Amino acid sequence: MTPRRFVIVVSILVIGAALIVGGPAVSQTPKSGGTLNITQREDLPQGFAVHETGTISTSWPAMACLNNLVFFDPLKKVESAETIIGELAEKWSWQDNYRNLVFFLRKGVKWHDGQPFTSKDVKFTFDMLREAPDAQGKLRINPRKDWYANLQNVEAPDPQTVIFHLKKPQPSLLLMLASGYSPVYAAHVPPASYRTGCVGTGPFKLKEWRRGEFVEMVKNPDYFVKGRPYLDTLKYIIIAERGTRTAALQAGKVDVSFPGETTKTTAEQLKKAVPQLVVTPYSQNVNDNIIMNVKKPPFDNIKVRLAVSHAIDRRALVQAVQQGGAMIGAGMAPKPHGVWGLLEKDLQALPGYGKVADEKDKARKLLAEVAITPQKPLKVEMVTRAIAIYVDMASFVINELKQVGIDASLKQVETAQWHPMATRGDYQMGANLTGIGPDDPDANFYENYSCGSPRNYSHYCNEAIGKLIDQQSQELDPKKRMTMVWNIQKTLEAEAARPILDWKLDYFTVWPHVKNLIPHQSIYNFGRMQEVWIDK
Amino acid sequence: MKTYLAQRLAIAVLTLVGMSMVIFVLLRLAPGDIVDILFSSAGYVNESEKQAILKDLGMDRPYWVQYAEWIRQILTGDLGKSYRYDLPAWQIIKPLLPVTIELAALSIVVAVVLGVPTGVISAVRQDSTLDYVLRVISLGGLSMPAFWLAMVIILGCVTWFGWIPPLTYVSPFQNFKLHAIQFALPALAVGYRSSALIMRITRSSLLEVMREDYIRTAWAKGQSGRVVIWRHALKNAILPVVTVIGIEFAFLIGGLVVTETVFNLPGVARFLVQAILWRDYPIVQNLVMFIAIVVILSNLLVDMLYGVLDPRVRYGG
Repeated sequence: MTPRRFVIVVSILVIGAALIVGGPAVSQTPKSGGTLNITQREDLPQGFAVHETGTISTSWPAMACLNNLVFFDPLKKVESAETIIGELAEKWSWQDNYRNLVFFLRKGVKWHDGQPFTSKDVKFTFDMLREAPDAQGKLRINPRKDWYANLQNVEAPDPQTVIFHLKKPQPSLLLMLASGYSPVYAAHVPPASYRTGCVGTGPFKLKEWRRGEFVEMVKNPDYFVKGRPYLDTLKYIIIAERGTRTAALQAGKVDVSFPGETTKTTAEQLKKAVPQLVVTPYSQNVNDNIIMNVKKPPFDNIKVRLAVSHAIDRRALVQAVQQGGAMIGAGMAPKPHGVWGLLEKDLQALPGYGKVADEKDKARKLLAEVAITPQKPLKVEMVTRAIAIYVDMASFVINELKQVGIDASLKQVETAQWHPMATRGDYQMGANLTGIGPDDPDANFYENYSCGSPRNYSHYCNEAIGKLIDQQSQELDPKKRMTMVWNIQKTLEAEAARPILDWKLDYFTVWPHVKNLIPHQSIYNFGRMQEVWIDK
Repeated sequence: MKTYLAQRLAIAVLTLVGMSMVIFVLLRLAPGDIVDILFSSAGYVNESEKQAILKDLGMDRPYWVQYAEWIRQILTGDLGKSYRYDLPAWQIIKPLLPVTIELAALSIVVAVVLGVPTGVISAVRQDSTLDYVLRVISLGGLSMPAFWLAMVIILGCVTWFGWIPPLTYVSPFQNFKLHAIQFALPALAVGYRSSALIMRITRSSLLEVMREDYIRTAWAKGQSGRVVIWRHALKNAILPVVTVIGIEFAFLIGGLVVTETVFNLPGVARFLVQAILWRDYPIVQNLVMFIAIVVILSNLLVDMLYGVLDPRVRYGG
């Protein structure tokens, strides 16, 4: 062998060995056992009663205990119709031109208390959610009733079959059913019992919930997916103080950060201190937006609303307030994280997304048309929640508005006052955050923009838009639907229904020994933990 | 003495009744209630659902009925049910008490152990370099906010040792060493601040006593410095120090919010703040009453100690 050949052969061997040793985690064989310590930012607000709340603080720990009919594949980064897998439903079938959705349930599934899971449980859950007159259960708070408005009837012809009869075709119902907010409750326990405990079918059983301290779950030995979960124990440690949470992660006392909590700056600091930490930026599916009460002057005038939208420099907001940890976008989460976001060229044409000076000029012109000038400014009150992330955004917006002749004063309100005030419309304008379960237009549009929805805080109501929302919901061709969704987003921004300022990114941080915990483009849907394992 | 004690107890009961009214009214004056918070976590409000929950929780009844019900519950030993957790309030409160009492007691021990000797040394060596150094250290304790000091300790531990104290409560019966570590750092953080106060009170009180005629007489009789200072001077200077210790202990029972939060200790103060934010009236009302009882009892204990420490103090009756 010549020296040259020798060098080549050795190089190939070295590179090959390096690829094997440093290869992707996918090539590793999962190991069973161990405890995963997970950060929990606050105590569970409603226990495990996912159907009675809209906060990740409840749904994140509850996801490990419960199951859905279908779920977004925990191992796929981007959620879409193509990444939906069966959970309690082994398979499903659309029938009658997407009017009937038939689920064929798994056999032999047991609740954590040993009772068998059947179609009765599914009917019980979804009758309760849609508030059917003959529903066997009742929720004291039902925040996602609108998701199931199209559900006419749930039929359980036999213990292993459930049929969802829809009023009109709605292919995206499946995406809402795949959200972490759509688990199946047990029919044989009262819905209220989920506030204090958790009888689920999920990969982990609740062992102990010590209020204000931790939630401990242990492996469900009877889980219907053979060989899962890998972990023996999950411990959600409640750490209320943000600095302590970061220190705990840095010190390795917890293995996983809380979804939606790690800012870009914090992630950079953590990475600097512990270079081996794995940081994954992903879309939280949460946006910053401005709500303007269209039922009251001056924001009943579209020109004033548009002026507000033109005046706010989104890119500067992302840099100044989010330290670069956000993306600009319209009504749906922007690409590449989101599926339905507008293309960059379309975004540029929307109010507030063009060149800063031009946008400010447009705002001033619009205001001048309604006799508002820097000399004779419009005085308004901007309300927001007395929480730093809200106040920071509101303060930035107030400064932007001042530059075009809108003199906004900031009013901070407590959490207890915020939603009653917003729902009733007792405000002029507000700085708001909106979180959306699955990255799907139905979940977003019906909740936040349809006439009469309790979460349509700006009380914007455009019947034409309502029809478009219905049409996209029923559209079977994905390409056509995408075009319709883009048009709706453009119209919503053009009418300043609820100007979107940015979409937040989370810098999900885990220790390198944590495998298969893959964040999706929504914080609400990847907490099942059945595929997670520890390589220690 | 018995009459005095009876009078003090009667005043204590009246104070508790007053406190119960104040906390009851103040809580209801705060904007929003538990139902608003529940709806906030759901992101919407529905008036009919809200009314149903208010009725379910008994919050639709007139305020005086709710107040009377609460007092009845206290008298019968039933503290009601937590609105947030849907569990008996006592079940929630019970595990919090030993954590806070232990932390407060340990902090006071640290404060006394650090504060009294340094105060004495500082007084005895008045205007010396040692005095100045000790006074600067004590001023540091008073100047540093508790949240800052606690956070610095946590960050220091994680930066230098890659370690932080346990994040969940470790029972002494489960692992005494870990339990001791868990409480030592917060007790040091809190105790340092309190020690600064005790040191300054000890110093000024001792300096005043040291100028008294009987101390001069003791010196003139040729007694040793140790006897003069510890037996004659300190014994007479200690009364204001005991008062401060009593006040500090009572303050700490409700005032450990930041320390408990930063060190993630499941105590009364941290839980109280959460309960206030959630407008969990049964928990807030009962925890505040507990704190009030501790304040009253520690004041009473301090008063009793006066008689023990200074035979000249005798209570009428």
